[in-house]
Amino acid sequence: MIGGRRWRRARGGAAPRRAAGSVAAVLAVTAAAMRVPLAAQDVAIRGGTVIPVSGPRIENGTVLIRAGKIVAVGADVRVPDGVPVVDATGKFVMPGLIDAMSYFGIGSNDLNETSAPSTPHLRAIEAYYPFGQFGGGESGPPRAEPLLAGGVTTHYIAPADATVIGGQGAVVKAAGARFEDLVLREPAAIDVTLGQRPANTFRERNARPGTRMAVVSHLREQLVRAREYQRRLEDHEALAEPERRTTSRPPLDMGMEALVMLLRQEIPARVQANRTVEIRGALELAEEFGFDLVIDSGIEAHDLAPRLVRQGVAVVLGPTSHPYVSGEEVPDEDEYPDPDERRASRLHEAGVEFAIATFSRSFGSFGPGANRWLLLDAALAAGYGLPEDVTLRAVTLAPARILGVADRVGSLDPGKDGDVIVLDGPPLSVLTWVERVFVDGEEVFTRER
Amino acid sequence: MRARPAPVALTLALGLACVSVPAHAQSLALRGATVHTATGEVIRNGTILVREGRIAAVGPDVRVPEGVPVTDVTGKTIIPGLVDNHSHIGFAIGDVNERGTPFAPRYRITDVLSPDERYWKDAVAGGVTTIVTGPGSGAVSSGQAAVVKTWGPDLEARILDPTGGLKIAMGGKNPQTGPGTSMATTALLRDQFTKAREYGEAWRRWEEGGRAGAPPARDLDMEVLVRVLGGEERVRAHVHSAHDILSIIRLSREFGFDLTIHHATEAYKVADEIAESGTSVVGLPLFIRIGLTEDVMRSPAMLVEKGILFAFHTDDPVLQSKYQRYNAALGMRYGMDEEAALRAATINGAIIAGVEDRVGSIEVGKDADLVVIDGPWYELTSRIDRVFVGGEVAYDRGEVTR
Repeated sequence: MIGGRRWRRARGGAAPRRAAGSVAAVLAVTAAAMRVPLAAQDVAIRGGTVIPVSGPRIENGTVLIRAGKIVAVGADVRVPDGVPVVDATGKFVMPGLIDAMSYFGIGSNDLNETSAPSTPHLRAIEAYYPFGQFGGGESGPPRAEPLLAGGVTTHYIAPADATVIGGQGAVVKAAGARFEDLVLREPAAIDVTLGQRPANTFRERNARPGTRMAVVSHLREQLVRAREYQRRLEDHEALAEPERRTTSRPPLDMGMEALVMLLRQEIPARVQANRTVEIRGALELAEEFGFDLVIDSGIEAHDLAPRLVRQGVAVVLGPTSHPYVSGEEVPDEDEYPDPDERRASRLHEAGVEFAIATFSRSFGSFGPGANRWLLLDAALAAGYGLPEDVTLRAVTLAPARILGVADRVGSLDPGKDGDVIVLDGPPLSVLTWVERVFVDGEEVFTRER
Repeated sequence: MRARPAPVALTLALGLACVSVPAHAQSLALRGATVHTATGEVIRNGTILVREGRIAAVGPDVRVPEGVPVTDVTGKTIIPGLVDNHSHIGFAIGDVNERGTPFAPRYRITDVLSPDERYWKDAVAGGVTTIVTGPGSGAVSSGQAAVVKTWGPDLEARILDPTGGLKIAMGGKNPQTGPGTSMATTALLRDQFTKAREYGEAWRRWEEGGRAGAPPARDLDMEVLVRVLGGEERVRAHVHSAHDILSIIRLSREFGFDLTIHHATEAYKVADEIAESGTSVVGLPLFIRIGLTEDVMRSPAMLVEKGILFAFHTDDPVLQSKYQRYNAALGMRYGMDEEAALRAATINGAIIAGVEDRVGSIEVGKDADLVVIDGPWYELTSRIDRVFVGGEVAYDRGEVTR
């Protein structure tokens, strides 16, 4: 487990640490304060095989949701009068799925600000578009239908995957009364990509960084700058009055502010790194600069499993069945080799915390809306040796913990959000469909027959 | 389905059959599994008897002769070795498209097949025992495919049909050198088939005239097309959009050749026309999933319902061969019944390739190409335990360390 505790700062409504440069935190706080879902619901889902993920499955169980929150899960739950009952007899009931890496909702023109190799001040939430087709559809609450159809109720959105420091990602829900209600955690991480993707972006225009070395070096330079910025800030904060008042604060640098959040371990870095070389580079930098780290995609991560465990670094694996992760039409075979369905079970056996994600996009070869295949893709990992309970965890509670939102979502436990899915068969069967999806206790998706 | 007169291919296949029984061909019995034969009823607690690499008996009450080793596979599922009717493995991927010329039926994939190519092993591990592998869609015609088994000590013996269909790719190719549009590709094909008719006619006149005088100059491309026009070789047409599907069906009517449309993304939009023309379909690899619409995912069930002969393919490297089983699984998810989905991954592909006398189902006399699975064959969570090709163990999960 990585330092999830530290990440909860913003959501708890604590005052932002720095008066300036905390726009992100302000938005998160606002969102949290306003997060009384307009349609918060009471509902009891009764009679199904309940898979809480956090504990053993319950036959003929009931999940009781009041005002959008789970209040009881068990075999002998009394449903109060007046609470609508959903009959789930013969069905399977489990927490809404969490897709720990996705670019869904980020348009093709909005993914990757390539005018500079690093843009840590950018925020994915400001590109997020869960409103369906541009210029089409009807007025109403935002619903990311392609996610809901696959049972995905929460996902992480990243701003980039082809520059070095792309910006700040967010954890959002797939349905809510209003846009602000979607935001679970923002900023949730600093998104970084190492390896050939960013190198290609800049080499093509004969600019730096154009090699893998230069990419890592560029990242290190940014972190060194951030550390100096942080020291200047803290030196200023440490000044005694009245000196402090009369000395001007170091000039505001939005990008450096973002990286200071990283150095202060308020949010982790999510580093997309596939080859052992890049993963090792990320681990070295995390040690050198003392930030929390999550490895994304991590095709060769199992080669470094002991070190990942020692440093407490989790891995968000790309799709089990697809050979590459960045929507490339012509993938580089070195960096995106053939899928090896055993990657998940290897990490599991080595004790590395991991999630399985889709890396889905809104466009191109990894879109649109590939999120809906998350569960089925995870089932394939189970077919190659990952135990069933671990497989289900890898798309629910494990990503919730990695994303720092396990207090809200990821399992069926009292106090958590009423994000529940009802399946018409065992979760890992290829013939199983998501029939109903509840977010905050409200039914937001119903499968047409 | 139009009857397929394929004397040359068939003769060749039979000829190879005579020589391809390995000296060490196996006899064995597998007992206790649920056997999906693909062509008959599902047999519970069945026994399969294999003698000299071929299926000698299959059923619930098979007597196993003394001396034949019996393997207990109680609780397992056995299906025929899978057939993948459209693949690009077995040769260097750089050889897939010759772009120097837009029309080259004379090329043969058998000229570059290699037994060492690493993807054979993955195909076998995924239960795929027979494939049709061929050149790509970079040219209007890039040559002839071959029907090949994925495993065996001798590459020559593995080839079931060295001329396994003429690849044609609809749609525009190269705007600079042409044809750059769908229209131009269709026109080029019409032109070539017209010339082929004349070429065949010239040879016929020469033969009938007592071979007097010099024979017509040989043209290797035209020779292939003449075989196609004579029904000896089938056209494998790469085609995605509905209007191109109608164009190639129109050409097959004009010139009277046997046609299978491949990938056929929009086949469901012109399903009635396809059914009426007797065209078979080798349909999109569903397990790609990403980017495919729900309408496309549902289309295999719909095409089968219309009576169209339908087979799944992987188009490896588009989808890896080992995922062929999951194409059929998704076919089921989207409305095919279990046996129809299995046929689409086995016997139907064999029929379209013209090798259904050898492979594609568990029937007496056929090659003992068998896949033993530890659960329902279509579940992603089920694992392949063992694969037999010609009665020999080609893959054993217990022995594999990767």
